[in-house]
Amino acid sequence: MKKVWLIALTMCLFTAQLHAAPAASVPRAGLEEKVIEHTLKNGMKLLMVERHTSPTVSAWIRFRVGSVDERSDERGIAHLLEHMLFKGTTTLGTKDYAAEKPILDRIEQTAQQLMAEKAKRETADKLRIAALEKQLAGLEADASKYVIKDEFFELYAKNGGTGYNAFTSRDGTTYLISLPSNKLELWAAIESDRMQNAVLREFYTERAVVMEERRRSYDADPESKLWETFVASAYLAHPYGQPTIGWMADIENLSRSKAEQFFHSYYTPNNSIVAIVGDINPAATIALVERYFAAIPPGKLVAPVSAEEPKQGGERRIELVAESEPTLIMGFHKPAINAPDDYVLDVISMILGNGRTSRFHKNLVVEKQLATDVGVFDAPGSRYPGLFVIYSNPRAPHSVKEVEDAVLAELDQLKNEPVAERDLQRILNKIEFEESRRMGTNGGLARNLTEYEATAGNWRYMIEYRRKVASITPADIQRVARQYFTRENRMVGFITKKGADLK
Amino acid sequence: MKRLIISILILTAFVATSFAADSGRANPRSMNFPPLRFDIPKAERVVLECGMPVYLLRDPELPIINISAMVRTGSVYEPASLSGLASLTGSVMRSGGAGGLAPERMDDELEFMASSVESGIGSDMGTVSLTSLTRNFSPTLKIFADVLLRPDFSEKRVDIARKHLIEGLRRQNDDPKEIAGREIGRAVYAGHPLGNVATPETANAITRQGMLDFHRRFFRVDNMILAVSGDFDRAAMLRELNAVFGKPAALPATVLPDIPQPAPVFAAEVIYGNKEVNQTVIRMGHLGVTKESPDLYALRILDYILGGSFTSRLTMEIRTNQGLAYNVGSHFDIGRRFTGSFIAETETKAESTAKAITLMKEIIAGMTREPVTDQELNAAREYIINSFMFGFTSPASIVTQRARLEYYGYAPDYLETYRDNISRVTKEDVLAAARRHLKPEAFKLVVVGDAAKFDKPLASFGSVHELDLKPKPETGK
Repeated sequence: MKKVWLIALTMCLFTAQLHAAPAASVPRAGLEEKVIEHTLKNGMKLLMVERHTSPTVSAWIRFRVGSVDERSDERGIAHLLEHMLFKGTTTLGTKDYAAEKPILDRIEQTAQQLMAEKAKRETADKLRIAALEKQLAGLEADASKYVIKDEFFELYAKNGGTGYNAFTSRDGTTYLISLPSNKLELWAAIESDRMQNAVLREFYTERAVVMEERRRSYDADPESKLWETFVASAYLAHPYGQPTIGWMADIENLSRSKAEQFFHSYYTPNNSIVAIVGDINPAATIALVERYFAAIPPGKLVAPVSAEEPKQGGERRIELVAESEPTLIMGFHKPAINAPDDYVLDVISMILGNGRTSRFHKNLVVEKQLATDVGVFDAPGSRYPGLFVIYSNPRAPHSVKEVEDAVLAELDQLKNEPVAERDLQRILNKIEFEESRRMGTNGGLARNLTEYEATAGNWRYMIEYRRKVASITPADIQRVARQYFTRENRMVGFITKKGADLK
Repeated sequence: MKRLIISILILTAFVATSFAADSGRANPRSMNFPPLRFDIPKAERVVLECGMPVYLLRDPELPIINISAMVRTGSVYEPASLSGLASLTGSVMRSGGAGGLAPERMDDELEFMASSVESGIGSDMGTVSLTSLTRNFSPTLKIFADVLLRPDFSEKRVDIARKHLIEGLRRQNDDPKEIAGREIGRAVYAGHPLGNVATPETANAITRQGMLDFHRRFFRVDNMILAVSGDFDRAAMLRELNAVFGKPAALPATVLPDIPQPAPVFAAEVIYGNKEVNQTVIRMGHLGVTKESPDLYALRILDYILGGSFTSRLTMEIRTNQGLAYNVGSHFDIGRRFTGSFIAETETKAESTAKAITLMKEIIAGMTREPVTDQELNAAREYIINSFMFGFTSPASIVTQRARLEYYGYAPDYLETYRDNISRVTKEDVLAAARRHLKPEAFKLVVVGDAAKFDKPLASFGSVHELDLKPKPETGK
């Protein structure tokens, strides 16, 4: 379960590292005093923290648009667009945009004709498909004469930029870089250009790259495939169920026109949050950001998703038969990030799955030895109601069923017996430690600031977190466990090994 | 202002007049930047009363202390018949209790303080690490020292660790990438301890006594280096460290057995593992160099140009131009004690397997035929030199880096001369290094996927040895 483990770790770190408290003898400025906020007239939000530990700076841009905001014919576009935004602008990544543009337009026409013909499936004209494919390849070769490959990357790299990357989730899309602190203007110049003038050149080759990414991340890895199927099965109506990367047929039918439309609709300053953390002078940084970004006109805000997931009326069980040892995933629907019960579920998540003193580790791994690992995390997003997820690798000869029963027994215990005060205190101590630790890296801080500003609506979620957790009582935990850990609200997914006794 | 008391010199980061043009917005292609000089932060080296070297760097930014102990040991010292012993010893040192403190009590004490102590043993180093809030440092240090020097190896925890290893082995063929990664390592280091892998037989042969003996051989105060950073008072820290580590060991000094270098054998091989998947995992490579190689800096440059960046030759052609893969790259893993390796990797749909293999070999071979371009050389040099400071962004990374260099016996001025050495590399140096160290005709080629769907039979790359990926009959308990 390495893949899911990774997700689990990431999510856990996030939920675990929320809040603030000056307990040390030397008074140190906490997050609250260190974050400087500035909102541009066009709605772009800037968050800054000054840290002079090294002469470096991390700059993250988060757009409040993710795969949850896609229509059904756009599935996969948020992620594919993220790849495409590394391809340059009207002035970068090209030797002569005026000459390149007509060829790009013909590529788009040809690709759309090709997709339309292929969509006819059995009645498609094979000769026409072959001719269009040949034409497309020829045009792409023509266009490539004008391309300066990956010029953004080259510019950042030669200036010492590291960690240049981006990621897309259900909830949002983030672009990140770390630079020597004297080079921050390079970031402002490139990113402001990208926000306004991106050119999605080399689109159809990159679409093939994303198909390989899909094969690598999901198709050829049984645990990830189970995970994708599990989440899709948990949502009948809400787009949280769609995989961010898109199903293979979705990707095959994405076009540059669709990606451009998505880009122009959503990549606007008022849908963006910027965090700049490190060796900066905040006043000079505000001036820099104003200089490069202020002229970008605002657009429409991303509209909330109107779909609502109907209440699950009974257990849903998902099986994947694969060339793989058994794995169990269990999930319960839960509310979105700011709901009071979500804090209680965070505490339950730590009691059950955080560290060697957690109940799952002590009881299932060490005492009963039914599993090699049992973990708990939140998925697939936090802007909308998500899932409380438990995953485990059973240890042979113990079965998925044995682990499932043992997990359910632990959940029952939470309903029936109040947790000890020491367990709650340990969690508060851990949160206090994470409050200090998270201040220790530019990138980590930039990540948390953009993530919580986007999903919880305000980065101060992190500051208020410990106070909210501190007010949770053992009775709250029992009530929430009884309310959410029910059969009607339960998803169960598992891998059955291929070749086992299947009937 | 909580500036580190270290030698970072920053010349005004923002010069309000440095941009041209009326808009005040500069062109990224021709931008100028205010100068920034980066001097490598220094850590203090102190020797404890017991003889243990300690690197210290105080930084009160966060109320946290980090310690890392590097211990001269490794899985290279375990017999092939006990593969997995070092790794299990490393894990049970922490999970099995220490200094008379039972495992459950240790977990409870540490986690209640939000402290952590973790241990592990890799191929050529053992590590025990500590992280704690400053106010919980002393009780955490005591547990750290016990885990390091006095682990109890609870029989029950030994048994659990062994069972987990065996369960891991049952699962080791689930993910095609994991199979390919393991098999390329075995093929490149065949006949050397670095090529050994655990099996259910070796796992079942590992005992508590074996762990105790392995631990006692290596985990001694005269066989390790400490790296200490964070929010502490220097004198108090040294007092506490001297108190827990005591006087020099009475026993004769540890003598590590001599492990020979892997035999420099370069012979092509094609290894195939069958999985019914739509994407093939491809790994190819052979032995590389040690850090003593005079080609070290040329190989760093070569790495960046060939397969170590987003604009490398492999990524540019196979991903960006041809859309054949999401992940493609190559890397000279420089050997710190033992000869390192050169490995190239990608994954591509089953139908383009042979095409991708052929392209990769061709692109790699290209490095041995013509010098790289000036543009490639400059891009690589500038990236390596300008991003150098990112190796030193936290006090913990600075002290750990220093301790590691001493551990592996690097020249004392290695870091200080690194950027100059990179800047001196020429195109001719890169070509000569490529010719000496890249042998595509002698690659071990590992391919995991569904051969029935490949574009060409694998046999076109040489005679194929097929892996047995079927589960063995149960031997675990």
